[in-house]
Amino acid sequence: MENLQSLESEKIIQDLLPQKFGRKGKIFIGVLLAFCLVGLFAYYRQLRYGLVVTSMRDYVSWGIYISNFVFFVAISLVGSLITAVFRLANVEWSKPLTRIAEIIAVAAIIFASLIIIVDMGSPERFYNLFLYGRIQSPIMWDVIVITTYFFISLLLLYYPLLPDIKILLRFKEKSGKGLHKLYKFLGSYWKESPKQIKLSDKAINILCITIIPVAFSIHTVTSWLFATTYRPGWDSTNFGAYFISGAFLVGAGSVVVAMYIFRKAYNLENYITPKHFEKMGRIVVLLALLYLYFNINEYLVPAFKMKKSEEAHLLGLFTGDYAPLFWFAILTGMIIPIIILLFKKGRKPVPVFVAGIMVVVGAWFKRYLIVTPTMLHPFMPMYNVPESYHHYFPSWEEWAIALGSLAGTMLVITILGRIFPIIPIQETLNEQHETAA
Amino acid sequence: MKLLHKKLLGLLSIVLLIPGYKAFSQDAQKGTLSIAIGYYNENNQIPYVKAKVKTKVDGRFKTVAGIPLKLYLNKDSAGNLIAQVVTNDKGEAAAIIPASLKSQWGAGPSHSFVATFDGNKKYDAATGDVTVGKAKIEIDTTSDRKIIATVYEMKDTAWKPVKGVDVIVAIKRMDADLNVNETATFSTDSTGKASADFKRDSLAGDANGNITLVAKVEDNDQFGNLSIQKTVPWGAKFVPVNTFDRRTLFATRDKAPIWLILMATSIIVVVWGILIGLVVNLFKIKKLGQEA
Amino acid sequence: MKSENNSRREFLFTGLLAAGAVVGCSPKKDVFEAGAEPGVVASGKKVKLLSVDGQVIEVDEAFLKPVPELPPVTNAEARLGIAGKKFVMVIDLSRCKNLRKCQEACDREHHVNPGQHWVKVYPMQDADHTSPYWEPTTCMHCDEPPCVKVCPVDATFKRQDGIVLIDSDRCIGCRFCMAACPYSTRVFNWSAPDISAEIAKLPYSCETSVPQKKGTVGKCDFCADMTRKGELPHCVSACPNGTFFFGDMNEDTVSNGSETFRFSDLIRDKAGYRLMEDLGTKPSVYYLPPVSRNFPFEPSVDSDLKSKI
Repeated sequence: MENLQSLESEKIIQDLLPQKFGRKGKIFIGVLLAFCLVGLFAYYRQLRYGLVVTSMRDYVSWGIYISNFVFFVAISLVGSLITAVFRLANVEWSKPLTRIAEIIAVAAIIFASLIIIVDMGSPERFYNLFLYGRIQSPIMWDVIVITTYFFISLLLLYYPLLPDIKILLRFKEKSGKGLHKLYKFLGSYWKESPKQIKLSDKAINILCITIIPVAFSIHTVTSWLFATTYRPGWDSTNFGAYFISGAFLVGAGSVVVAMYIFRKAYNLENYITPKHFEKMGRIVVLLALLYLYFNINEYLVPAFKMKKSEEAHLLGLFTGDYAPLFWFAILTGMIIPIIILLFKKGRKPVPVFVAGIMVVVGAWFKRYLIVTPTMLHPFMPMYNVPESYHHYFPSWEEWAIALGSLAGTMLVITILGRIFPIIPIQETLNEQHETAA
Repeated sequence: MKLLHKKLLGLLSIVLLIPGYKAFSQDAQKGTLSIAIGYYNENNQIPYVKAKVKTKVDGRFKTVAGIPLKLYLNKDSAGNLIAQVVTNDKGEAAAIIPASLKSQWGAGPSHSFVATFDGNKKYDAATGDVTVGKAKIEIDTTSDRKIIATVYEMKDTAWKPVKGVDVIVAIKRMDADLNVNETATFSTDSTGKASADFKRDSLAGDANGNITLVAKVEDNDQFGNLSIQKTVPWGAKFVPVNTFDRRTLFATRDKAPIWLILMATSIIVVVWGILIGLVVNLFKIKKLGQEA
Repeated sequence: MKSENNSRREFLFTGLLAAGAVVGCSPKKDVFEAGAEPGVVASGKKVKLLSVDGQVIEVDEAFLKPVPELPPVTNAEARLGIAGKKFVMVIDLSRCKNLRKCQEACDREHHVNPGQHWVKVYPMQDADHTSPYWEPTTCMHCDEPPCVKVCPVDATFKRQDGIVLIDSDRCIGCRFCMAACPYSTRVFNWSAPDISAEIAKLPYSCETSVPQKKGTVGKCDFCADMTRKGELPHCVSACPNGTFFFGDMNEDTVSNGSETFRFSDLIRDKAGYRLMEDLGTKPSVYYLPPVSRNFPFEPSVDSDLKSKI
């Protein structure tokens, strides 16, 4: 940030304006679109033939669609962390990262809703949720909080965008006709008058305060989809806190990955500096340690007791069929990133980026391990059922749809990053004025 | 209506004949039916006969539906036709003895019932018959909760008590009859009476404590099936307590627990109130911008 | 000729009415028997019938209704259930020989997809040194059903007679109920159900659970349509050993078709219990422990039956 002082305002603005896609960008978009299209085709097959195209059967009746759903909801919590918590705590260095965080949050929550509709056996009856919804059902709570969180995240993306739109409106030729029209529609009324600024600041403050309990509730309620059942591995009072700590971790990891990529793609070295990586690295290692703590609680305590219903499940995770995946998720998701990030050398941009990727990948497999193994250890024995019911490995349609949803999320993030300045311009300018003064 | 019936009968017979013809020309393996016919007298009202049609499939008996049967009294001639019936999906068909057979019915104390099946494409023709003597059963109760069932048979136009008939004395329940004590059946003595002690104390009856006793003779070789009922106030008063309208977590949506409704509504109202306020705020900002 | 025609017509007429005539005449207090419905108005037209004594009696035609295939129960009635009843099942584990006739009958009557079953028979052995036995399970129709608690759209519901049913016209296929049920009793229609076109065209009834629909959940329904008529569920009638007993707990009577017992006596004398009592689901299916059993436990030849799906 010391660099900023030496730069003029105009240069800052020029650096931070949205840039057109280069060749690499276009290839990236192409690949993402391809994944999305394959996913759409797989979904068409699923609509036509039913969920039989997946590998889910009567025992494993929730598969990677649900683990993807939990993953997306987890990532979407990042908005509340980076934007809201840090902003309220007046953490200065996090200011450039707020837009990335909000974009990730919005994209993730959109695809969380989409993937849950994909998982429904009769999606054409979706409206029944509104006509006949039962308030006693945790799914109903989830629908309500996710809708609420989506709306809050949109507002939290939009409000701070207004000053930047005013700047963007100055560069009509660079934006092109379409984008310029969009900017006009979105924020031409923002004149930056003191009254407007006062209202906007107050609004953003209220949003930041409100989003924190809502963010906590969205992932707690999602965890209750599992914790309100009797099954081994799910019947835990720990689940709310366990899920939330995991969500903060994977959210922070995804911000680290996104900030590295945007930094490289848009040449933002002056704005996302090694200092940011160093600070985010500390945040990630702190959250990883916290998540590790909850994991120990979640697994060590039942293992101490080895209740009959939980024994097969726990042994399956520690030493059995799921052991490779379980230890892989623990190592890549928590332990190795912790080791990397505990040292100052590990908190340089590239190691932090690598740790971030490991966190995200480990988190995806961790969510899978939460959903599926439990379902293969029901209370009643698995007997007199077709062979396919005894195992679960996702079918190509499921992989296609799951990867398609991940690609879709990245597509939304990339497109929003293309349309809007990925680093808040006005805030950066204010920053520079303050430090200069 | 009358003409239609005649036409229907005619049509039916033609329709039945054609497959019969075809069956002759074909060399198909046809199944065999076993027809069991029973006589039922319930509550000494209108007696009826019930025919059950079964066929052996893989060594096991299965009921057969849709079999047209002709039921006759004493002999299978047109003048003795009780009814033409078709078995239902349980393989059973029942018919009441019509008034027009009064002379045949009154002719003697013992009658036989014949059921004939003319054969169709799938099954060979078959018959079943049973011979029963006219009998009836009566039930009475004493003040010390004894139930007395008496069985009579018709001998020369007079009802005479019968000895040695197995009678079941039970209490009528929803789908079955519960014996009044551990003994399953009671045999009638020389006066035709079988007595049973009512041992099912405090058995739930209706709101006034009424239960229905039933005495029955089942599948007797001589007399067929007889049964008679009597309602007595020997049960415990039972008024069902309906817990259906309680507010619980597993009730329907309109009966959610109050605490849940309050919590959810207040949270939603507060949070969305704030959000709506923020949207209104946006419009305020917009207005300020347009004024400037 | 004419008189013969007339009489034949009369025979046919009475024959057609015969099936329900008995029902109409007997003064059964059972509300299930149509014909004993209060408020049946005499039509004025009399039919001549023979009494036991050989007397000709005249009965008003209105009381001789044809067998009521009861009018189809509306969805609202199906959701309410039958007042004053509390259905309960008792399964005698000492009688089960893994013949699976219960499973066959249920699969057939409800057109369950091949490979899936609503009645499941498990080989159980509670601990290493305890006795193995066959345990048939149906839906437990719990009094605190975890599946009903979590359904977001009221597609599965508990009725006042204790039966838990599924409305396949409303189910959205989220499968939360399947995750919540600890007895693994629910199955899902992953593809279009393997049923004939005529059955698939029938309007869905919660009480018959037919026809099943793609993308919805299915399970044992205690044959709600049969119990409404006062008949036993199919699994109960199908078992050659009489393993299943079914009845109304309010009437304190259960029957397997040939034997009838007082429910409270049966449970007390034979130490009846329920599955997974500690979970607090309060199931409606009681089990009688496999003591003095009729058959030794024989592992099934085709144990862990595997079929291709």
